[in-house]
Amino acid sequence: MSIKLNVIDLPKDDYKGGPSSLCPGCGHDQISNVIIQAAWENGIQPEKIAKMSGIGCSSKTPAYFLGKSHGFNTVHGRMPSVTTGANLINKDLTYIGVSGDGDSASIGIGQFIHAIRRNLNMVYIIENNGVYGLTKGQYSATAEVGSKKKKGEINMSQPIDLCAVALNLGCTFVARSFSGAKKQLKALIKAGLSHKGMAVIDVISPCVTFNNNDESLRSFGYVRGNSNELHVIDYIPQREPVQEVEIPAGNYRDITLHDGSTIRLETIDDTHDPSDLVAALAALHRAEEGQKHVTGLLYFNPNVETTEEQLNLSDTALLNLKENQLRPSKESLIEIIKNKRG
Amino acid sequence: MGYIVNDCVINIATANGTGSQSANLIILQALFEMGVDVSGKNFFPSNISGLPTWYVIRVSEKGYQAPGDQVNFQILMNKATWEKDIQSVKPGTVIIYNSDVKMPVEREDCIVYPVPMTKLAKKIHPKLAKMIANIIYVGILAELLNFDSEKLELAISKQFLGKEKAIQLNVDAANAGREFFKENFTKEDSYTIEKREKDEDAFLVEGNEAVALGAIYGGVNLLAWYPITPSSSVAESIIEWIPKLRLDENGKSTCAVIQAEDEIAAVGMIVGGGWAGGRAMTATSGPGISLMSEFIGLSYFAEIPCVIWDVNRTGPSTGLPTRTQQGDLSMLYEASHGDTQHIVLIPGTVEECFEHGWKAFDIAEQYQTIVFGFSDLDLGMNKWKATNFEYPPEKMNRGKVVISQEQFDKIQNFGRYRDIDGDGIPYRTLPGSGLAPILYRGTGHDEDGVYSEDPEVYNKMMARLRRKIDGSRTKLPQPVFKNNDAKEIGIIYYGSMQNTIQEIDDILEATGIKISQCRVRSLPLSPEVENFVSEHDLTIVLEINRDAQIYGILRKEIPITLVQKLHSVAYSDGLPPKANVYAEKILKKINEVRE
Ligand SMILES: Cc1ncc(C[n+]2csc(CCOP(=O)(O)OP(=O)(O)O)c2C)c(N)n1
Ligand code: SF4
Ligand SMILES: [Mg+2]
Repeated sequence: MSIKLNVIDLPKDDYKGGPSSLCPGCGHDQISNVIIQAAWENGIQPEKIAKMSGIGCSSKTPAYFLGKSHGFNTVHGRMPSVTTGANLINKDLTYIGVSGDGDSASIGIGQFIHAIRRNLNMVYIIENNGVYGLTKGQYSATAEVGSKKKKGEINMSQPIDLCAVALNLGCTFVARSFSGAKKQLKALIKAGLSHKGMAVIDVISPCVTFNNNDESLRSFGYVRGNSNELHVIDYIPQREPVQEVEIPAGNYRDITLHDGSTIRLETIDDTHDPSDLVAALAALHRAEEGQKHVTGLLYFNPNVETTEEQLNLSDTALLNLKENQLRPSKESLIEIIKNKRG
Repeated sequence: MGYIVNDCVINIATANGTGSQSANLIILQALFEMGVDVSGKNFFPSNISGLPTWYVIRVSEKGYQAPGDQVNFQILMNKATWEKDIQSVKPGTVIIYNSDVKMPVEREDCIVYPVPMTKLAKKIHPKLAKMIANIIYVGILAELLNFDSEKLELAISKQFLGKEKAIQLNVDAANAGREFFKENFTKEDSYTIEKREKDEDAFLVEGNEAVALGAIYGGVNLLAWYPITPSSSVAESIIEWIPKLRLDENGKSTCAVIQAEDEIAAVGMIVGGGWAGGRAMTATSGPGISLMSEFIGLSYFAEIPCVIWDVNRTGPSTGLPTRTQQGDLSMLYEASHGDTQHIVLIPGTVEECFEHGWKAFDIAEQYQTIVFGFSDLDLGMNKWKATNFEYPPEKMNRGKVVISQEQFDKIQNFGRYRDIDGDGIPYRTLPGSGLAPILYRGTGHDEDGVYSEDPEVYNKMMARLRRKIDGSRTKLPQPVFKNNDAKEIGIIYYGSMQNTIQEIDDILEATGIKISQCRVRSLPLSPEVENFVSEHDLTIVLEINRDAQIYGILRKEIPITLVQKLHSVAYSDGLPPKANVYAEKILKKINEVRE
């Protein structure tokens, strides 16, 4: 039996990680599988990926995918800063960050915000379950008002919608999805990997142990019954001429990504224009009012410089500079001292 | 009458933000150009404008750099501190003041010179009179102390580098001051300045700029920082030097600089940069270190090289943000939760600031850990005399980093955290290389970098980390000894105390006590420090803090039989150390011990 290979002749096994130690049925594991599939299908060399995370059940998952990639499971809420430093030293890697709603919306909200402001070139996946899984079920800052915890306490604080925050900060790629919506999520992750700049993908990812009661807006049952997909999404890699893809029957919209690949949004109920920031915010607002989740690519803007572009750094990744490029000459120091002596 | 030559203290009382700083630096520079040994210190408040500032210039033929004990020339420019400044001076002091301020100076026992500084300045440039008024007192002092006109002009042109108009205005103002003195007053004091053969190699530089240049020549390629006094000028100097020293052939930068949103992000960025294979650093002060603590532990445990410069200010909390102290040292040594121990480099001169500036990266990469540079406001923000910055004599030491398959294949039984060479330092590979990738983590891990909570694995890992850092004791900058033949009393000190120690030594010697000196230049301590203690009957540990921080470290680390020989003199009031204050405390301590 021949093993199926991707465009760079690697089997999918080369993109897998170690066995998961999460609770069976956890949404996070579904997302890990989609990351594996997306990276494999995109044909990225595994060693050219860096997988980054903070702390939480979600942040443990880099151990369970892309075993041939270096990764860094950092500290709680600080994945963005570590990724920023790594990116500035080695801009040639593809950075996939995984975080939780506690990790990004509470302790790490400052770093989340500032990495977006700087348009850090990465895919930032939030595995959003509305609770702190790893510390056993406390509310997170994304939990809705009135939601009831397993033990019965009711949350009275307003939730933070991380997509809305990202949109308001000028994030260049903002999407929402669901761990169970494999096709949509895969297309979004693949598109995020092709995007140059910050791609925030907020993925509803139910915690089966602490937040899966049916009233919870982030339970499997609720999400399945109350999601509005903005569009059916297809990702068309750069190497496949667009015309070879089956043209959908209804309306559709093609968006060209940085590396030449295309994301095709097939509109179902609405004509959502992902270049329209106000429409994106309105879609979130409507969904919130109706206690629904709106999923899909909410917003996309390819024309913003990334962090490393803004800094006007050497074309060569700083990591690869030679000693004589990092250490100025002896003559230059002699000249400085001469001037100081006056 | 015989004058006291090249030995006096000038105190200039002004308000922050009135442009007095350039006038004061001109006096300092002019004296320096005349070949006179001089130092200047700024005593400034934590605000931008309006609060009192004092600048103290010490001229000392013996090369003493601490602020002197008695002021000989008091210049009054600040109404707010007027009376206090007048009261604080001893009889016989020269008082120069701006008579346009219309405040009384009643000191019959002093030599008082009222000068209409504002009026004189207005004649030169009505609009800029406020700024120029400061230069009038420069002229008065210059006349009074017999400054060389040429050198004074040289100092002015250095201060306003290339700005011809400003130079001319200031030269005119200084001359106006000189003329006014000649026409209206006679000299009555007994101090004067004489030109000396200037050491042609000497120049003045701030410790922070020296650190910055050191970092630039150390190949820093990521600077992430968050502004905080007194460290900001380390980062700002790096930023200033990059366009001159660190652009590639296309005019693009070889060093990324990012102003982070806070110190947690700054340290996160340098940990990320070090992890990716860069030479990453940040500069901060005590409050920043407190915020960075969690990441410092991650760097230690996951073994990631990076460099943090702590320019110490007076703590705790916001403390006295514009005052100096050696109060962060024990925090740096054991920063972060759990068992940790860090390498700390402790320069005592501006030359060493430069040297440790580049060396810090070699050491961080060699030991795969966080390395601290420890400076303070006094050393960092004041100008000190230097004679040279020596170009790094060796190539960069990038440590045990494996970058090719060929290299990798030569290592038997590779594991990211396996001690293959027996020195506690493992080999590492970089992201992007595809060589033995692991998920780095702050959680427990085995020699292969795989998650583990196994008690034996953890215990072994921690023992190796200790061995690794201990191995640096003889490799880091070693202590500097002086008069080490006097074996009775030894003094251990470090950092900016270097600038006061000789004067302390001379004061003690005048009372018949001969001491030998040991200046510590790094943590963990060199075994030579222990030798020093064992060779002396009694050792004083001298430091600028309350809690005797290095003394505490020494007590913990030297053999118990030697501990009784150690005695602490630790004192801090926020000000740079005055020789007589510390000398007195040392004498008292010695007498106590000998009783
Ligand atoms: C500084 C710090 N504070 C607290 C913790 C404890 N802690 C670990 S994970 C976590 C919350 C994780 O929640 P989330 O990011 O939503 O991840 P999930 O487990 O839900 O996937 C907390 C509070 C920690 N590790 N570090
Ligand atoms: S506790 Fe919740 S989030 Fe954590 S692994 Fe279990 S199901 Fe997943
Ligand atoms: Mg969560």
